[in-house]
Amino acid sequence: MPKSATDIRHFIIAGVLVAITTVLLDLLLKAILPMPVQGSHQAQVIDQLTSWHLTLIAFLFSLVVVIMLYSLFVFRKKDGDESEGAHFEGNTVLEIAWTVIPLIVVFVFGFFGVRALSDVTRAAPDEITVNVTGFQWSWLFEYPDSGVASNELVLPVDRAARMDMTSRDVIHSFWIPEMRVKQDLVPGMTTTLRFTPSVTGEYTVDCAELCGLSHYSMVAPVRIVEQAEYEQWLAERTAGTAPALAQTGDETDADTDVETDADAQSN
Amino acid sequence: MTLWSLGLVRGVVGQIVGFAAGMALVIASRLLFGFDPVWNQEPALVGGIIIGSIGFLIGVGALTDWFKWMRGIETPLHHGPPHGRPAWTRYFGVDYNHKVIGIQYGVTGIILLGIGGMFAVIFRTELAASGFQFLNPSNYNTYLSMHGWAALAAILLGIGGMANYLVPLMIGAEDMAFPRLNAFAFWINVPGIITLLMSLNYGWDGGWTVYPPLSVLGPVGYQFTFWAVFLIGLSSILGSLNLIVTILRMRPPGMSLFRMPIFVWAVFATSLIQLTATQFIGQAFLMLSFERLLGMGFFDPDKGGAPILFQHLFWFYSHPAVYIFVLPGLGIISEILPVFSRKPLFGYRWIALSSIAIALVGFLVWGHHMFTSGYGEYLRVPFMISTLLVAVPTGVKFFSWLGTMWGGKLSFPTPMLFVLGAISVFLIGGLSGPILATTATDLFLHDTYFVVGHFHATIFGGFVFPFFAAIYFWYPKITGRMYDETLGKIHFWLMTPAFWTMSLGQMSVGVMGMRRRIADYDPALGVEFGHVLVTIAGFTIAFSVLLMIYNLLHSAETGRVAGNNPWRSRSPEWQIPSPAPEHSYASPITVVGEPYDYGIPNSTYVHMAPLAAADD
Repeated sequence: MPKSATDIRHFIIAGVLVAITTVLLDLLLKAILPMPVQGSHQAQVIDQLTSWHLTLIAFLFSLVVVIMLYSLFVFRKKDGDESEGAHFEGNTVLEIAWTVIPLIVVFVFGFFGVRALSDVTRAAPDEITVNVTGFQWSWLFEYPDSGVASNELVLPVDRAARMDMTSRDVIHSFWIPEMRVKQDLVPGMTTTLRFTPSVTGEYTVDCAELCGLSHYSMVAPVRIVEQAEYEQWLAERTAGTAPALAQTGDETDADTDVETDADAQSN
Repeated sequence: MTLWSLGLVRGVVGQIVGFAAGMALVIASRLLFGFDPVWNQEPALVGGIIIGSIGFLIGVGALTDWFKWMRGIETPLHHGPPHGRPAWTRYFGVDYNHKVIGIQYGVTGIILLGIGGMFAVIFRTELAASGFQFLNPSNYNTYLSMHGWAALAAILLGIGGMANYLVPLMIGAEDMAFPRLNAFAFWINVPGIITLLMSLNYGWDGGWTVYPPLSVLGPVGYQFTFWAVFLIGLSSILGSLNLIVTILRMRPPGMSLFRMPIFVWAVFATSLIQLTATQFIGQAFLMLSFERLLGMGFFDPDKGGAPILFQHLFWFYSHPAVYIFVLPGLGIISEILPVFSRKPLFGYRWIALSSIAIALVGFLVWGHHMFTSGYGEYLRVPFMISTLLVAVPTGVKFFSWLGTMWGGKLSFPTPMLFVLGAISVFLIGGLSGPILATTATDLFLHDTYFVVGHFHATIFGGFVFPFFAAIYFWYPKITGRMYDETLGKIHFWLMTPAFWTMSLGQMSVGVMGMRRRIADYDPALGVEFGHVLVTIAGFTIAFSVLLMIYNLLHSAETGRVAGNNPWRSRSPEWQIPSPAPEHSYASPITVVGEPYDYGIPNSTYVHMAPLAAADD
């Protein structure tokens, strides 16, 4: 083992160890952080950025921890050795390097971050608009184009959806993990969330903002279906064959709504 | 000696009497002005909280000297234990010695950390399986919320303990600049804590963030929380003012700013944030209290208010507050590493200035807590960039620590182990930050358990581990005896792997779809195994901390005598006897060298008059 702390061999050994650890850690991180089904176009963008983040995390974690562990083993004090370590107080070139390089990385990630953000929030021409109302502790989905109201969110696959959302009481937050994106519902204002479902299936929309006693159970079913099935579902609803709930989207009668919805929830 | 001679007992009695008087005052006013009904629970309780807290301060004696000043009576500072009572009683009453106040802060902090941790262990156990085991949603939410504020208040107290005990010692000052203000700033925490714990009786369910309208509609327990935080915040403001003045005005000859021990830099940066940001949470919580009490619609859209306004005010303090929590701990890491590496602190000036940089950038990033809140969409971009920038000064610290260890002569007693543990844990916390900063990925992870994992890693790495390192490191200076090294190492080797498991487990269940702050979860998520692991880890951490407390209590009696400087440190506090005497320095000190010049033979940091002159 080389004696001097600035011997080049130390840095070569540590460098190789950092590289190996980075690869292993990257695999490990992606194994212990399994994402839900990639259910929307936005999810692809977000998962790509997440993957870059995890690789960067694996590298930086390895860099610090490997060099730290290397020092702990190689530069540990021998028994009875009361001498001091090598005297160096710092290195301005190194300090500037590890200020400037991270700064560049920050701006690179900033650039990709902004690009991903604009990708996941971009409006599409042919959007389906759903008016979403959150209240303690349930959801109401209204389709303004057809006048349908429902406690279940049904959307066609591969078509952009736009949620115009508000809350009747406290702050809630709209989150379908498979779609990735999330947006708060705030009383007194309308917030918007866009996503384009890409995989058919049954999901749930969960309230992600603590909203009181039954926050944990503020969950509504979501179905992503083929366009034809979606149209059929809308038609059944408009024809009045569905439960009476479709009539209760009236904002002026909030109390009845809550009761009806609570009933529907418990069914 | 009677129980009544203990300030704490008089304070509690004062608070009870004051509480009753405050309630009576409100009832009497309502009667007088013809309000109907005369009995209204909420205003009566708030009256009780306010007058009760003043009652505590009068009872404990924190205002006594100031009352005397009003009447023109001289109040010379009393040094040493109180007359005619055992020495330990000084810790239970108003005492102006910064070392006593430091211990009062530290011990209260540990007790409160235990209470906060206990809440966590309770609801953690509930989460080990889906379905409801022994809690219902109502007390789950209350415990969760209590865990937040109890632990945060404990951290503020722990920081106060380290800063008050160490800063005057490290800069060779006789005491803090304003000893009475110092005692007042400590004691105002106690009625605050009592008030916070009283909220349990009524419950509150908003989490520590208490966003309106939920916190306006919820149970009356919220009022206790608002006022408790207000009182504890007042302590932060007064304490930080005192520290800033002490650091700027009471350094010895020769100690330029860049020759201060690095921990003092960290406290200075922390105090700048505390002094300038704490008002915002105090104000925001008062506004909530008045909205409930008087119907002022600050945050109510029906009355012209805005719910999101609260979030801005809250995070304008609460994000910088995270740096309040971690900067002193990072300072402890920088302080202890050179001693056990036997090498100078690598890049002293860069580390010192990086603390200031973190403090300043910390004021520009609050909006990253609000990416999903519904504020102007264009705001997401500047907050994304400013948040990522925090990585730069933080990285400087990590790399400089590596530079400090590289080529040293490293030894690993318990304090050093906790410093290394702190670095590894803070690294987990720091590296899981940028993924929450780039808005698109945050839209996924926001309000999930990933955030819980990130936050706890930051706080454990930035506060809890360094705090424990500091306790073990300065224990010989405080008690004159050495802690039990074996127990200390067991504590470390239980707590650190348990914490890694907990962190990764929380992040893992978060990514899988586990939301934050839910009393129950769907077993279909597949997160039950993760929760079991996290719960086991939580119990392990709790047990290891109990081991530490046993070690500290037991070793104070039986530990071997430590001597003045068991760590061969250059810092001035290690050149005086252990335990540190009443007047720390027998004669004024002069700084003649650099603080961390390990490896230069015969160099010293401070010059002291020979101990023979010490005849106090």
